[in-house]
Amino acid sequence: MLIRLEDIRRYYSVGTEVVHALNGVSFQVSKGEWLAIIGQSGSGKSTLMNVLGCLDTPTSGRYWLNGKDVSHMADNELADIRNREIGFIFQTFQLLPRETALGNVELPLIYRGLRAKERRERARAALDQVGLANRVTHRPNELSGGQRQRVAIARALVTEPSLLLADEPTGNLDSATGQEIIGLFEQLHRAGHTLCLVTHEPTLAARCPRAIRLSDGVIVNDGPGPEVALDGRAERARAAAT
Amino acid sequence: MSLRVDLVEGGRIALRTLGVNRLRTALTLTAVGIGVATLLAILGIIQGLNGAFARQLASLGTATLNVARHPWVVAGDWWRYRNRKEITLAQMQALALQSRLASAVVPELNEASKDLTAGDQSVSQVDVIGTLADFQKIWGYEVPQGRFLTDADSDAEQRVVVLGSEVAEQLFPGRSALGGTVRLENRPWRVIGVLAKKGQLLGQSMDLVVLVPFKTFLQVYGKRELQIDVAVDDPQLLDRAEDEVTGILRRVRSVQPGQPDDFSINRTQQLADTYQQLTSALYGVAIGVGLITLLVGGIGIMNIMLVSVRERTREIGLRRALGARRRTVVVQFLLEASLVSAVGGAIGTAVGLGLAKLVSAVTSLAAAVQPLTVVGGVGFAALVGLIFGIWPAARAAQLDPVEALRHE
Repeated sequence: MLIRLEDIRRYYSVGTEVVHALNGVSFQVSKGEWLAIIGQSGSGKSTLMNVLGCLDTPTSGRYWLNGKDVSHMADNELADIRNREIGFIFQTFQLLPRETALGNVELPLIYRGLRAKERRERARAALDQVGLANRVTHRPNELSGGQRQRVAIARALVTEPSLLLADEPTGNLDSATGQEIIGLFEQLHRAGHTLCLVTHEPTLAARCPRAIRLSDGVIVNDGPGPEVALDGRAERARAAAT
Repeated sequence: MSLRVDLVEGGRIALRTLGVNRLRTALTLTAVGIGVATLLAILGIIQGLNGAFARQLASLGTATLNVARHPWVVAGDWWRYRNRKEITLAQMQALALQSRLASAVVPELNEASKDLTAGDQSVSQVDVIGTLADFQKIWGYEVPQGRFLTDADSDAEQRVVVLGSEVAEQLFPGRSALGGTVRLENRPWRVIGVLAKKGQLLGQSMDLVVLVPFKTFLQVYGKRELQIDVAVDDPQLLDRAEDEVTGILRRVRSVQPGQPDDFSINRTQQLADTYQQLTSALYGVAIGVGLITLLVGGIGIMNIMLVSVRERTREIGLRRALGARRRTVVVQFLLEASLVSAVGGAIGTAVGLGLAKLVSAVTSLAAAVQPLTVVGGVGFAALVGLIFGIWPAARAAQLDPVEALRHE
């Protein structure tokens, strides 16, 4: 089991009010799964993604990632876990504008302490893997949106993480480019990567073999992607009817 | 991850960032540069002044004791010295006879602010000193023209005079004073020698002086307050010699045990001490001004670093998400701050050195900058950057990665 969450809760204080962003979330993800986490804004899916990505620690509950309990790790340990276990893909790409594609992809390897030569080799291989072998010296502003997201995916792949975590990866792309990126995810899934997509788009979730729907900080549905995505449509229809 | 990686990567990022915000970097550099330049110029001038003073002091002779009723530097209760008994020739002879450490003992009589003429030339504010041959040795006078006074000149009450270099220049412009005649106290004096230039001490010319034979002085001016100059061969023995002279004088002047000395023993070291007392406060203020300028530069750096942290919040969030530890972020920003500051310091050092050189070229102040000061200038600037970078770096490291990634 790659991911095991047990009764994860995450509370925030906003002024005098306590927001229950996650209110007892438990699920497991096996190695090689492709999973979508869906839900409307405020459902807690961003908080869940931050916890899964070790950017945030739960108020209570336990989280095992690749056999390690990461739910209450210290800051430095979490930084190392993020570096080794997680590959982040962001909606806004989060590329450094002054670095080339190669420089951007190298970045996580720097924090792993690899030497320049090995970093470059691995970064080139990762860019090749996403089909950007001929764009290594381009800077982000010389690349299209789809290419930028590919650079970001290469950056996530380069550390050979156990989990790829994508936050609305097609949110800033037109639908054709979005389809391309989804195609790339399908390839990665077939190659054996574990993928977790956080999205509010039912069509995207419908492409995933498995989807988890969050609402008000709890899991309301966990099943095959197309089913859970449709369930959302039904839910919204019910909400609209009442 | 190792600190080495933090430093290498932090340094790379710092260099790159400086290159990107060129104007901003240049302005920050200027602020630090001005601070360092000011400080260095001030230090240079101080070092120059101190050096000049030390050289002047050395030209006075360092192995000499001067025995007088008054100390050279009277601080406070000057009237206490008024009632002291005179120092006499007999006491001087006792000193000469009994002291084993003294290599020479000479009497010295002084008249200040006298006018001299030669033909239609005149010079005023001249010190007239009546003394003997050993005075030359004791105070290290050189006589490039003619000869110094002899004891025979004194015994025969010769009306001869040795001129300080400035007196000679003013009375005999463009020609040799040797063999000429000067008028002092309405009497003619034959010039037998001219002293080498000694320069200034604390702004006073040491060359507005004439030396006449001891007994001739007594004959012309009558009895004056006597001082005794004692030379010691080895400057190391000066303390012991002072003890010895004190002992002999207390005995011959019948000072009761337990009573304080009723005479003063002066050494050039006293002048150095006084100089330090007078100047240290001034130097303190000057250095303070330089430090404040540097402080302003440091605050400039802090400001720019805070702006930089704010601008790069998302970048910091990304780096943290990709595995940078807090320390990595701290090191990155500290390096950036100290690098800007050190470059500013290097520029400031060059400007400061130039200023010090300019000051010494344009004014009579002799500025000197020691090599260590240069290293210190750059290092100190880097330290200022480091210190003023701490707060911005800490703020950067304290950012929550989730919040930082969402930052617009």
